[in-house]
Amino acid sequence: MAELSLRNVSKRFGAVEVIRDLSLDIPSGEFAVFLGPSGCGKSTLLRMIAGLEAVGSGEIHLGGARIDTMAPGDRGIAMVFQHYALYPHMTVRENMAFGLRNIGTPPAEIERKIADAAEMLEIGELLARKPTQLSGGQRQRVAIGRAIVKQPRAFLFDEPLSNLDAALRSRTRIELARLHQRVSSTMIFVTHDQVEAMTMATRIVVMNQGRIEQVGTPMEIYQRPRTRFVAGFIGAPAMNFLPVTGVTGRGGMAVARLPDGSEVATEVPIGAVKAGATLTLGVRAEHVLPGNGAAAKVDVIERLGERTLVYANLSDGSAVVYDEPGDVQLSVGESVALTIDGAAAHLFGPDGLALHG
Amino acid sequence: MATYRRGRGLGDRLLLLAVVALAIVWIAPIVWVIGLSFKPNDVLMRSTGGIHLPPFTLKNYVDIIASSQVFAWMLNSFIVAIGQTVLTLVIASLAGYGFARTNFPGRNVLFVLVLAALAVPEQAIIVPLHTMFAAVDLHNTYAALIAPRLAFPFGVLLMTQYFRAIPAEIEEAALLDRASRLKVFWRIVLPLSIPAQATLGIYTFLHAWNEYFWPLVSATKPAMYTLTVGLASMQTNFAQTEGIGFLMAQAVFAGLPVLILYLFFQRHIVSAVAGGGNK
Repeated sequence: MAELSLRNVSKRFGAVEVIRDLSLDIPSGEFAVFLGPSGCGKSTLLRMIAGLEAVGSGEIHLGGARIDTMAPGDRGIAMVFQHYALYPHMTVRENMAFGLRNIGTPPAEIERKIADAAEMLEIGELLARKPTQLSGGQRQRVAIGRAIVKQPRAFLFDEPLSNLDAALRSRTRIELARLHQRVSSTMIFVTHDQVEAMTMATRIVVMNQGRIEQVGTPMEIYQRPRTRFVAGFIGAPAMNFLPVTGVTGRGGMAVARLPDGSEVATEVPIGAVKAGATLTLGVRAEHVLPGNGAAAKVDVIERLGERTLVYANLSDGSAVVYDEPGDVQLSVGESVALTIDGAAAHLFGPDGLALHG
Repeated sequence: MATYRRGRGLGDRLLLLAVVALAIVWIAPIVWVIGLSFKPNDVLMRSTGGIHLPPFTLKNYVDIIASSQVFAWMLNSFIVAIGQTVLTLVIASLAGYGFARTNFPGRNVLFVLVLAALAVPEQAIIVPLHTMFAAVDLHNTYAALIAPRLAFPFGVLLMTQYFRAIPAEIEEAALLDRASRLKVFWRIVLPLSIPAQATLGIYTFLHAWNEYFWPLVSATKPAMYTLTVGLASMQTNFAQTEGIGFLMAQAVFAGLPVLILYLFFQRHIVSAVAGGGNK
């Protein structure tokens, strides 16, 4: 259990700058998820924390001590790799004992720690098997077990769920969240899957092109995205973005006019809007309300069971996705009327930053 | 489904037929050599046909064993072959790991040099080798018989490729498990490379055992002959004086240890030749 602190960390591979002057503090005991598209630098950042990649410049501190100058094994960190990285020639028990033996743990204590971890992860009957005799889910548990027995100050997870099927993935998500509650260590989890981030994280770090876009709790990130990138990356379906053709003030708040002529009364203070700036309005599917308002034509209907996603085109041709109940009676080409809930809408400036009060 | 099965059955049978035909082509000369080795030389002077018909004799083998030096030569061959095998494995593994996993200036140039050495025929370097070993007065020693082939480019290449194929994640996991570089190599990488080690080891041993040219050049004293050179030395003028039967018996005798080795390591050799080392 320790606080992790990154200070002005940079990293380049040749001419490519993968991490740009990044600073971040993760309080002790948090479940932090590094979330971002492929190539955003999240895995590189994790590997730098682990010591598997040298830091270009800047410092990394764990529990108050500088660790970026230490060997990987000396940092008090355990890592679960994407492909599990179990030692194929060792049994499950030997896999878990290897790290403990290397630090001179007495055999009796090794046995006790393995037994504890095996019980927690329900892998007791697998201890004598080799990794090739295990299923993907079992290997995953062993990899986690190998991390747990070391009682590290921080756990690192590098997309560990990406090789599991959907059912196992959602089960493992729950188990990881439970594990975090039990061991209460700092955990850092890298993923490109926003569902994993939303469900497990106590804090999400959204990354893009080697920079942090936003740090916050899952709901903060969802409800108050700081940038258009974050708004578009989090949430399924992706947030609707509509060009704003003009802004007027009403009661101190900005009213955005859309290309089809309709108006949306936002709760963004008019003072935050720079005159003449090209703005984009962002609104999630659940905040586009059918019933009355702007005319639109249904283009595609996606039935998900408990809800239906309807993709419709406004009169000017811009596309909007909105929510309907699962059993809604609708057909492609039908005319609908849509209202955008202005209180839940966001305005983004030309630099991609959200306008807030 | 039924058609598919029938088609596969036919394909399997054709394949089996081809394998049997190839096996006959490969085995026939060996059977012939063994057959001839049990025939009296004077009979063979007249005709080498009818190896399955009497008369038979063990005289050719008795003649070999009667030579007091045969077992000394065999020992020499063993020392040279085992020495070459062990040292080649050590050198090729360390060099291969260096090329596969460490980054040092000039690595690529050095690797290309190793690859280039693959193209140099053994015979081309015999004279310089002979001069070198003569200069340091090492001819007629085990060192001279073993050393020249230790820098074995194919072995380095094989191990480099094999180490590259081991996921780096596994070694990284070991580093995080507080293993030193040496420990990672010794406890993780080496055990995982056993199939490649077996391939290279068997290959090296067989090559060293059968090697003729270099021992012929380097070992001039009969006490330092390897089995191949020693047996050849027993033929004063090739087959003319001692006879074909004796010659064939020598071939069988020299091949026996390899055959025994094969019986012991059959499984490994098959997987070595199959090339994968996949379990």
